[in-house]
Amino acid sequence: MLLSSYLDAKTIYYEPAEKSREQIYREMVARICHHYQLPICGNGLIDLILARDAESSTAYPTGIAIPHVRMEGFNDTLISICVLEHPIDYDGTPVNVIILIITDKSASKLYLNIVSALLKLSKDESTMAAIRQYKDGASLVAGIKRIGITIKENLTIADIMEQNPAYVLPDMTLHELTAMMDEHNQAYLPVVDENMRYLGEVNILSLLKVGVPDYLMMLDNLNFLSSYEPLENLFEQEDILCVADIMRRDEEVLSPQASIIEAAHEMIQHKKRFFSIVSEGKLVGVVRAMDIFRKVIRA
Amino acid sequence: MTMMLVALLIFAVTYILIITEWINKMLASMIGGFVIILTGIVHQDTAFKAIDWNVIFFLIGMMMVVSVLRDTGIFMYIAIKTAKLARGIPLRIMMYMFVATAVISAFMGSVTSIMILVPIVLLIAYELKISPIPFIVTMVIASNFGGAATMIGDPPNVMIGSATKYTFMDFILNLTPPVILITAASIGLIWLIYRKKMKVSNQNRVRLMEYKEAGLIKSRRKLFWSLVILALMLLALGLQAVLHLGTATIAMTAGLAMLLMNNRKKVDQVLTHDIDWITIFFFMGLFMIVESLVETGFIDGLANRVLAATNSEPKTTSMAILWLSGIFSAIIDNVPFVAAMIPLLEKIGIAFQAKNLPAEVMNPLWWSLALGTCLGGNGTLIGASANIVAVGIANRNGFHISFKEYTKIGAVFTLVSIVISTLYILVRYF
Repeated sequence: MLLSSYLDAKTIYYEPAEKSREQIYREMVARICHHYQLPICGNGLIDLILARDAESSTAYPTGIAIPHVRMEGFNDTLISICVLEHPIDYDGTPVNVIILIITDKSASKLYLNIVSALLKLSKDESTMAAIRQYKDGASLVAGIKRIGITIKENLTIADIMEQNPAYVLPDMTLHELTAMMDEHNQAYLPVVDENMRYLGEVNILSLLKVGVPDYLMMLDNLNFLSSYEPLENLFEQEDILCVADIMRRDEEVLSPQASIIEAAHEMIQHKKRFFSIVSEGKLVGVVRAMDIFRKVIRA
Repeated sequence: MTMMLVALLIFAVTYILIITEWINKMLASMIGGFVIILTGIVHQDTAFKAIDWNVIFFLIGMMMVVSVLRDTGIFMYIAIKTAKLARGIPLRIMMYMFVATAVISAFMGSVTSIMILVPIVLLIAYELKISPIPFIVTMVIASNFGGAATMIGDPPNVMIGSATKYTFMDFILNLTPPVILITAASIGLIWLIYRKKMKVSNQNRVRLMEYKEAGLIKSRRKLFWSLVILALMLLALGLQAVLHLGTATIAMTAGLAMLLMNNRKKVDQVLTHDIDWITIFFFMGLFMIVESLVETGFIDGLANRVLAATNSEPKTTSMAILWLSGIFSAIIDNVPFVAAMIPLLEKIGIAFQAKNLPAEVMNPLWWSLALGTCLGGNGTLIGASANIVAVGIANRNGFHISFKEYTKIGAVFTLVSIVISTLYILVRYF
């Protein structure tokens, strides 16, 4: 289905003046409530939008913000767009297109697909420039229709994964590895060769394990020890061992075409919160349980 | 005759695979067992009947018991307490650990005690800044000695106990005395070999004395009931002659009772992680393969030759069994060795009976087999499962125990123990 099919010119407007975020929401809500019957409207709806904004930022670096409201008993999906002449600051991100989506509590898949279509659209510089030129709803709808952006039926891992993730090479020392983990604040990192071919993964536990001798791992309980100097072995080995010595080569990976439910299933099945996304042997991204949480459940 | 040769060939190939570990030993024994059936040497029904379920269920039952007991923290508690009782003095730790290992092995099995105690000794040696290798070597030796003392201490004894009419008490009365003598002699040997080595600083000794072993017992209630069940199990084993209960039944009852009482929620974990199915299936396969040698008459023929060589003299036969099992067990894993020796001794027993010799003449033969195989296991690095397990743990922690290094010590202890056993057998039974 086409994205444009979901748009209604009556709920789309162009804002030439410099206004606050709340003022713009007020205008958008007014238009929506004028044309549609919603269980919650007026100030109630504005409160819902602001509450959602307060939870986490709805803005994307491409300059669009997608505030989203899930409304009990609405049973439909509604999109309202506001093109701004003067960008608004969304917690540091300048936004010049606001797209408000109102859905039913249960309609999350469609919502996610709309978001992914919008994000794809927003990454295209020239299209975005064109959109910003439209001064009224009808021409904007017509413009988007011309581009022919479709809403995918199914969301895949490619839509929620982190592209261009941090990675390490097998011959990096553990010292370099710890620096990478620290810098990117990651407990897991994919390991690739110089051609980005996926080789395996390293995680923080394998690193810590270098510091814990095998015989301690065989003991059921260490609560009798109080003065054992922990992890000193790790500091001794830091410059001797390299990523290849501690990486896991047999970890499960996912393909970018995998569905979200498949990823969730694999994560639960393998008790693993991190998956490398591999396509034709090459690393194309990573996905974490938190990505599913943030981009799907809390989206 | 052809059948016998084919059976012998399958037996030989399987045993070579087991000894060299070219493939997983469980796979080797299972494949061997089913090839015996596929080739029609032994019918499936006969092969399955040859599996000594008393041994199989005993092993499973004991693994359950050990799993729960281990979970109580009692073994680690004993180990730390032992080291502290020795006040951190290396030679004393070594002697105390020797005894502790022997005792735990006698009742829990040698492999179990090694798996629990070696990591602790590695930690202690690290803290004391001394080499753990002498400790590991002497503990392996102790575990095989301790295992020899009871019917449930070592796999060969379990198999002998199951194949014969001997009870748990018979083993205690006949095997524990020589093992005590051997242990005492070994303590002397340790003193001779290690008294001038191993010095530690007070500073490092203090670290050891600071261990708070009390925290290792997570639940006193759980420990109490586990120990009650263990005591009841040993009592039942001791009263086997009166109760007429199989060893497997007693062990399984204890194991199931412990699981029921302590690990209600974790039964699936115990079954997947703590029951060593590899060993269980290895044993099953062995029984099937050996059955082919019995069925085809090979063991009969071998028994006749042995008797001819020893003039059917119980004394000579006993000595031959003791020393030959000692040597063989040192070179090959003693479990497959005993699996093949048991039917041989059974045939010899039948031959003795035919000569109208009293049934008691078999006693020294069986005890010789038990002592020879269990003690011989100490001879080399690969003589018994406990040795292989211990060397594996040491290796993974960066302490390479070479074949030569082990054998230098192991052979001395083995020789001393077999000589003591020889004297014991001669004095007690002839």
